[in-house]
Amino acid sequence: MEEVFVPAVGMAMDNAVLLEWQKQPGDQVNAGDVIAIIETDKTTMDLTCETSGTLGRHRYAPNDEVPAGNTITVVLGAGESE
Amino acid sequence: MSNDKEWKRKLLRDMVVIRTFEETADKLTLRGKVAGGMHNSSGQEAVAVGTMSALDPKDVIATTHRSHHHTLAKGMDPKLVMAELFAKATGCSKGRGASMHLADVDNGNFGGNGIVGAGVGIAMGAAMGIKQLGHKKVSVGFVGDGGMNTGRTWEAINMAVVNKLPFICLVDNNQYAVETFIDRVTGGRDIAKRGAGFGLPSFTIDGQDVLKVNRYVKEARDRALAGEGPTLINALTYRYYGHNVGEKGQYRTQEEIADWRDNRDPIDRFSAQLISEGLLSQDEYVALHAEVTAQINAAVEFAEQSPYPDLSTIYEDVDSGLLGAKS
Repeated sequence: MEEVFVPAVGMAMDNAVLLEWQKQPGDQVNAGDVIAIIETDKTTMDLTCETSGTLGRHRYAPNDEVPAGNTITVVLGAGESE
Repeated sequence: MSNDKEWKRKLLRDMVVIRTFEETADKLTLRGKVAGGMHNSSGQEAVAVGTMSALDPKDVIATTHRSHHHTLAKGMDPKLVMAELFAKATGCSKGRGASMHLADVDNGNFGGNGIVGAGVGIAMGAAMGIKQLGHKKVSVGFVGDGGMNTGRTWEAINMAVVNKLPFICLVDNNQYAVETFIDRVTGGRDIAKRGAGFGLPSFTIDGQDVLKVNRYVKEARDRALAGEGPTLINALTYRYYGHNVGEKGQYRTQEEIADWRDNRDPIDRFSAQLISEGLLSQDEYVALHAEVTAQINAAVEFAEQSPYPDLSTIYEDVDSGLLGAKS
């Protein structure tokens, strides 16, 4: 299982805003797919996954503030569940 | 011969420790565990290990904002480095410094800092002290390619030359000053030629070859101890990650990064050499990685479990104690 999380990309980044989900729970995703778009203090960023599988549930809704380091969803491998 | 075998295997191990540490710390930084971010040195291991393996433990170094590889190669326990990255009280700088201020003065590591080129001045000052006190040791100032275009760097080199100081300027040249390719901002393009103009032996070498770095530093050290003054070594290397962790890098191509990783990686090259020379078996190499991974995982565990500095200690270490800064 791969956790897709909001990375701490600045020296003092506390959180980011989840702008938009690009994939829905249950979608088949491939490594490199954009899962969500987030906005930090400085820029918007695509969050991609590194593995292929089935997307898990959305743990945040659009416009939620997400603390840096927090997982927003997971990519499930064959036979895995949340 | 068996000494040579053990020595070479230690060089390899030291490089694997750095790579494993950096890959691990990079992920932890993205997860928000590392206070103030970090600069990943993956790809530059041979410069650090090649240099330190040519030094005596009592020799002095001063480094840069990208200093994990220098610090680990100088012999600091990964636990103390990781705890410092986490800003914990058990870190080498008691959690005050984080990634850019790793230091161990008692063991000749005068520390990193966030000011481009400043390590050269600090190390030159240490070399001045070494000469004054008549000690038999040398001082090495690390600097990046970006730092070779700052005034203080050349001011320090000039002072080292005219005073014949036991000093080595080691350019850890990863070719990018943050996002700027060195050739775009370096007049004359040739750092070693600039050094020659300042009157000190100056060399550009392959910084991905750990034995070559070792040999050039050893010769520079011998000259310094013989009273012949400083040397400049411009070691060409490459960083695989961004300037800082999480950087959205669009200033170099994936092909360029892959070329350095796939064809010039210092660890791949040296491990292949040791295996072909019969100094290491494939199984031993796999075991080495497993051993180092366990060591770095233990360092993470140590950092996680350690406490943050207590608020009551906030006035400690602000000065030498003579000025009376107390709570």
